[in-house]
Amino acid sequence: MRPAPWTLPIDDVGLVPFGKGVERGLDERALCTRGIQLETLAGLGLPVGAGLTIPVPNVPGLTAPDRAKAAMNLLEKISGRTVGGTTESGGLVLLRLSASAPVETAGLPPDLVCLGLKRSIIPEDLGERARADLGAAWWKSAAFIAEYALGVSGDDLGTLDFDYPDPIARVDPFRALCAEKGTSPFPSKRSEQVAAGARAMIERWNSPRAARARKKQNLPADLPLALHLETVVVTEHDDEGNGYATSRDFETGAFAPTGVFRHGFRLSGERQHVGHPLSSLPDGVEMLTGVLAELEGRLRSAVLVDFEYGPDGLALVGLERIKRPSARVATSLAVDLAIRGITDEAEAVQSVEATHVLELLHPQPKLTGDEVELVTGLPASPGAAVGRIALDSESAVELSEAGEHPLLVMGETSPGDLPGMMAATGILTVSGGSASHAAVVARGMGTPAICGAGSLRIDREAETVSAGSHTLHAGDVISIDGATGIAYVGALEIERPGPSPSLTTLLGWADDARRLGVRANADTGPDAEVAMGNGAEGIGLCRTEHQFLGERLPLVRRVILSHDFDAEQAALRDLADAQREDFRDLLRAVGDRPVTVRLLDAPMHEFLPASAEEAEDEHQARMLGHLHEENPMLGVRGVRLALMHEGLYPAQVEGLFNAWVDVVSSDGIRPELEVMVPLVSIPEELVMSLRLIRRVNQEVASRTGMIVPFKIGTMIETPRAALMADKLAQWAEFMSFGTNDLTQLTYGFSRDDVERRMLGTYLEKGLMTASPFAELDDEGVGGLMKFAVARAREVRPDIKLGICGEHGGDPSSIAFCEQLGLNYVSCSPSRIAVARLAAAHARLDAA
Amino acid sequence: MADVALPDNERDALIAMVVRGMARGEASPEQQSLADQGLILLKGPIMMPTPAGTEIVATLLRLSDDAPGRDKIMDTFRKFLPVNRRLRDLCTAWQVRPDGTANDHSDDGYDADIRDRLDDIDEAVGPLIKRFADELPRVAVYRPRLTTALEKFDEGDDSWLASPIIDSYHTVWMHLHQELLLTIGMSRKEDEELEERLVSGGTA
Repeated sequence: MRPAPWTLPIDDVGLVPFGKGVERGLDERALCTRGIQLETLAGLGLPVGAGLTIPVPNVPGLTAPDRAKAAMNLLEKISGRTVGGTTESGGLVLLRLSASAPVETAGLPPDLVCLGLKRSIIPEDLGERARADLGAAWWKSAAFIAEYALGVSGDDLGTLDFDYPDPIARVDPFRALCAEKGTSPFPSKRSEQVAAGARAMIERWNSPRAARARKKQNLPADLPLALHLETVVVTEHDDEGNGYATSRDFETGAFAPTGVFRHGFRLSGERQHVGHPLSSLPDGVEMLTGVLAELEGRLRSAVLVDFEYGPDGLALVGLERIKRPSARVATSLAVDLAIRGITDEAEAVQSVEATHVLELLHPQPKLTGDEVELVTGLPASPGAAVGRIALDSESAVELSEAGEHPLLVMGETSPGDLPGMMAATGILTVSGGSASHAAVVARGMGTPAICGAGSLRIDREAETVSAGSHTLHAGDVISIDGATGIAYVGALEIERPGPSPSLTTLLGWADDARRLGVRANADTGPDAEVAMGNGAEGIGLCRTEHQFLGERLPLVRRVILSHDFDAEQAALRDLADAQREDFRDLLRAVGDRPVTVRLLDAPMHEFLPASAEEAEDEHQARMLGHLHEENPMLGVRGVRLALMHEGLYPAQVEGLFNAWVDVVSSDGIRPELEVMVPLVSIPEELVMSLRLIRRVNQEVASRTGMIVPFKIGTMIETPRAALMADKLAQWAEFMSFGTNDLTQLTYGFSRDDVERRMLGTYLEKGLMTASPFAELDDEGVGGLMKFAVARAREVRPDIKLGICGEHGGDPSSIAFCEQLGLNYVSCSPSRIAVARLAAAHARLDAA
Repeated sequence: MADVALPDNERDALIAMVVRGMARGEASPEQQSLADQGLILLKGPIMMPTPAGTEIVATLLRLSDDAPGRDKIMDTFRKFLPVNRRLRDLCTAWQVRPDGTANDHSDDGYDADIRDRLDDIDEAVGPLIKRFADELPRVAVYRPRLTTALEKFDEGDDSWLASPIIDSYHTVWMHLHQELLLTIGMSRKEDEELEERLVSGGTA
């Protein structure tokens, strides 16, 4: 490992004009960050300001006046100016001394902007503004030197500040104070001022305050300094100025010189964000545009330059890479660099993160101006959300299971609240800042969040939430905008923005780079349309039970509970007709793409009346007792239910096949049907189901004259199915891992109970590092999957394998699927973009 | 309404209550007595001054317009407000980065820079408090309180910069500011307007 730069011995290397260091074999160890910035700029042939660096080993020497004089002389040669003299336009030439370290660090001494005023006399013949600026600058530099080089107390200096509001009037009393209380009088000669300035900088760098800053950043206590000496021109005229420009418009992410400039000299080292727009620069913004484009290309990063301008034009005096670009900038930059040929499409795809994509596609609120604000806090995680108030993790999980959207509202969250946070559409906390647990977790999940809403009051006993004049109860609807930090009473209209042109381009490149297919989990026509719009290649999971749990419920009940053959048949016919309608919409949205329809999977108790009172007739009420199950999730469910009531699956596929015939005829599309049997653990279950389905297919063929093509496949969601994947592959043309159920059954978890009661503690104690329901457990569950994949491919090498649990939208799980060599992942429509990118990353990272 | 004669300890307790705006916890004997006199309100775990109590403190603290030190105090206050603005901006920067994203404190350099800028503010406010204290001895106590908060912050507990529920640096600063306003007799609105004028480059 390369030793820390400042521990290597460095020879005396003299003074280094800006841009002349590299050719002398120097690097950041001697030149430090500012010096290297200027080397970079000069090395690219860009105009840099006139100045020189006193490299690290020479800095102590600069405290001697003769060395300071030598530095001044060299500077005068380089700049063509005389310190203390005037420029052509009547500007006064002075000196600026600044410092930097071998690495970026906070706590550097401030710039000394006004060295070289002989006897501290501020000339009378400067304009008013220039005199005022100069007075202020002089005081800062002089006071700094007095305190750190001459030992004058800050209190005495402060008193002078009060007693003489006008800095220029302060000069004489100041010099008297230094003579009286300082180790020596304030230097009159220019070179002595520079020498004293160097001494003061070194003292300040060695002060407890600067040491603390280094410690806080885990930087060595003996981190050295380099100094930089430049000329400063003090003038009244607007033809001298300074400013900064970044290469990106941060709102749109587009390449555009963005910044401000001010007239006069740079008063402090800190950037001033208020000033004139760059477009008003005397020579316009063309030069900066070229400079920024060049720098972006060379450094492959968004950049910021500091500049000065004068009668001779624009000169660059500083350069920074934008280290933490926003999602917009990162995406636009990645695409721009690839289009320019500086990087390629693969690099562009790899430089954008899944979290960036999430951020760009965050739901936004549609504000009309009539919204009622509830409370304001800190924007902790961007995006807008609407939901019902849930006051703790448990009730959030319960609400979510009931099909509602919970919005978690708590004092603050802790790891034990994770299940509720995962179930919530949004999170609102009273305390905790933007680095709190809630904020960090929410950002990681892409869930909108507001923290630190200090004026919110939660009454756990009364189950109310109040702020200002509003009092709301648990279950009431509120909305939050995590980007602005404002929470609203009631429901906001939310829209999901479409991808920007850059993101669309990038996702297209991701599609080229990835191997895994990306399909969507969608149950209805509208969902499918959204999914296809987001770039899904097909439907990886269409759950059919939703179609049965609404108005169709009585039909299903009759099938399960009736003892009358005719009644049952009638109900099945109605079911088939209803399914035909449902599937038509879905198939239209799918077009020619594949669609995997999962036959009925709900546990039986979801179809049954909750109690005898709800039964249609006495017979049903009696059957209810017979059909009670101890553990419905592991009982008569999925294919088991279908084989006990053999009319169900045929009714479903009759509807499906008829719908296919309908859309082929009416719309001219040919969806690729894939019929999937759920909860299989015994190969014969699949075989029997296949027989039932084929019979219907033949019936439809003889009735319509069309043979509806379809593939038959199975879910792998029980351990036994995974272990018997080879036998299943004899019959299944495709398999989809139902990782939600597979995870439950492999661990022996009841998901709801574990999430509510246990998961938080296990995460806190480090037994788990993530929820296995969010990130695929690659060791245990993944081990079963690996086994199943290998066995299935032995029997049917071209079998199509996919995954359709929530894991399909999780980047780390997708990476695992790539390793396994699956054919596709399927996820919710809102995660399609993330999945496309993550699949590309998985492929590119492995290569 | 300075006709209510309070013993010193109760008077100090009332001033503290008004300067802070509220307090939590069990009422001290002084606070109980003040509550009995209708000068503070005990509301569950929270205590607040009543309008009557606030008015008394305003009268107690208010410096008359012709008081000898008033000019010096106003001069110093005009120097205080720009520093006040810098502290507020700094606390915001601690919580939210310039690009609008929340500060998750993963960038040591960013946090160290804020702590460094806090030093400038702390160094600036010291002489100001000293000058205030020349005319208003009560105010001297804020210097050590600020230092204590700063030390606790440096010991590693980030909440000591700006947490509203403890005597963090920002909280103590707010108390100082409030006491100055009561002494000068300036409303919050006037105070905000003055600060804005001073910060925008006026000499107000």
